[in-house]
Amino acid sequence: MSSKILTFTLNGETIRVVVEPTDMLADVLRDKLNLIGVKKGCGQGECGACTVIMNGDAVTSCIIPALKAEGAVVETIEGIGGPGKYHPLQESFMDLGAIQCGFCTPGMIMSAKALLDKNEQPTREEIREAISGNICRCTGYVKIEKAVSTAAEKIREGK
Amino acid sequence: MKRFKHYDACTLDEAVSLLKEFDGKANIIAGGTDIVGLFKDNVFAESPEALINIKTIPGLDYVQEEEDMLKIGPLALLEDLAHNKLLKSNYTALAEAARRTASPHIREMGTIGGNICQFSRCWYYRLPNNRFNCIRKGGKDCFAEEGENRYHSIFGNVKDCLAVHPSDTAPALIALEAKVKTTKRVIEMADFYQTEDAKKFSILDSDEILIEIQIPRPSESTKSKFEKFAIRKSIDFPIVNCASKVEFEGDKVKKANICLNAVFVTPYVPKKAEEYLEGKALELDTVETAAQLALQDAKPLSKNEYKIEIAKSLIKKTLLACK
Repeated sequence: MSSKILTFTLNGETIRVVVEPTDMLADVLRDKLNLIGVKKGCGQGECGACTVIMNGDAVTSCIIPALKAEGAVVETIEGIGGPGKYHPLQESFMDLGAIQCGFCTPGMIMSAKALLDKNEQPTREEIREAISGNICRCTGYVKIEKAVSTAAEKIREGK
Repeated sequence: MKRFKHYDACTLDEAVSLLKEFDGKANIIAGGTDIVGLFKDNVFAESPEALINIKTIPGLDYVQEEEDMLKIGPLALLEDLAHNKLLKSNYTALAEAARRTASPHIREMGTIGGNICQFSRCWYYRLPNNRFNCIRKGGKDCFAEEGENRYHSIFGNVKDCLAVHPSDTAPALIALEAKVKTTKRVIEMADFYQTEDAKKFSILDSDEILIEIQIPRPSESTKSKFEKFAIRKSIDFPIVNCASKVEFEGDKVKKANICLNAVFVTPYVPKKAEEYLEGKALELDTVETAAQLALQDAKPLSKNEYKIEIAKSLIKKTLLACK
């Protein structure tokens, strides 16, 4: 009845999908578009597991009504790299053991990517601030922080 | 989640006429970081029928200084305010308050308008599926009075509600003597919150929208500062927060503005402390006395006496930082 067609750019492709006003972006990405790298944790925007990049900023997709993504450019962990061609952040998270259970990892990497897209040489404080909306209950954040700064170095060297 | 309709408003007039059409049964949504949580948890006995998105109205996210006034559009993002150079230098308390709100993710979505119009964080009020139908929702009781009240008011209740106001930016705006412009009126930020109608928090009518925040430019001899005490550094609401603005004449205080939040149902201005400081130098003993005066009328509940000391220390810290 009140469903609408949502058109947006997802990982570089134009997507049209039928959504209800009550659908959150995280639900649409996971349940309708099968992007299960978007994790659902608290459902209140507080844990960061569902972080995606929307129009260049890291945001928590579990509290964004999907209809607010109309015309937006959205990136998820699936869009930044995968087996065969990993993003430097994905590589350094794996190489440095910045993953334990892995539930927070996609959100953590998307928050870090939003930072590195804007700032290739972040300070330790800037890295900490960028991931301060992502909760990890396994690691002590130290390896995550190191993985982000290592990825930043790789990105700078790659240019 | 109950079903609702979603409208993208293109103009303020359109948003206002939609609000009128739904006659109190529609809510404005901008960043949505607060209201979406309420909807998802079915916090209200009767959920609103529609959400009216005002993010689609162009030109409401400005931050600009005009003559002797800073004008901020209601859709300005908290993250943008936190990093705005002009704010950081001249309206410091507001930039700091924006920076200490929630997490960077939420600040990228959340707006200044939404931050000052947010709903209560009282855990009885917020518990999913309206399990505690409190006074704020049309019920008869405040469950915090005899229940878990460690985060509740230390200055008594209003209409029996003990829930505190959770905004970080509101005390900064009040200390900076901001005004708020709506589709119906211009009002002092200090008068923006009301206590007559328990079902709402601000003075906004059901068909009224906040359209601008106006802050008078502080003089050269003025400084402001914001401090927040919370359990976590990020993604947390204040246990107590405080913004102070001090205008000096030589080394004496010409005028002091102090506003605490999360200590009362609305942001709390300790007038006695402000008056006491006039004409005095900001020394340890004067700020100590000001803090004592500010908390003189406190009436803590069974589990929140600790907030008094926190409030005092934040008042002292913010005042001394203005020196």
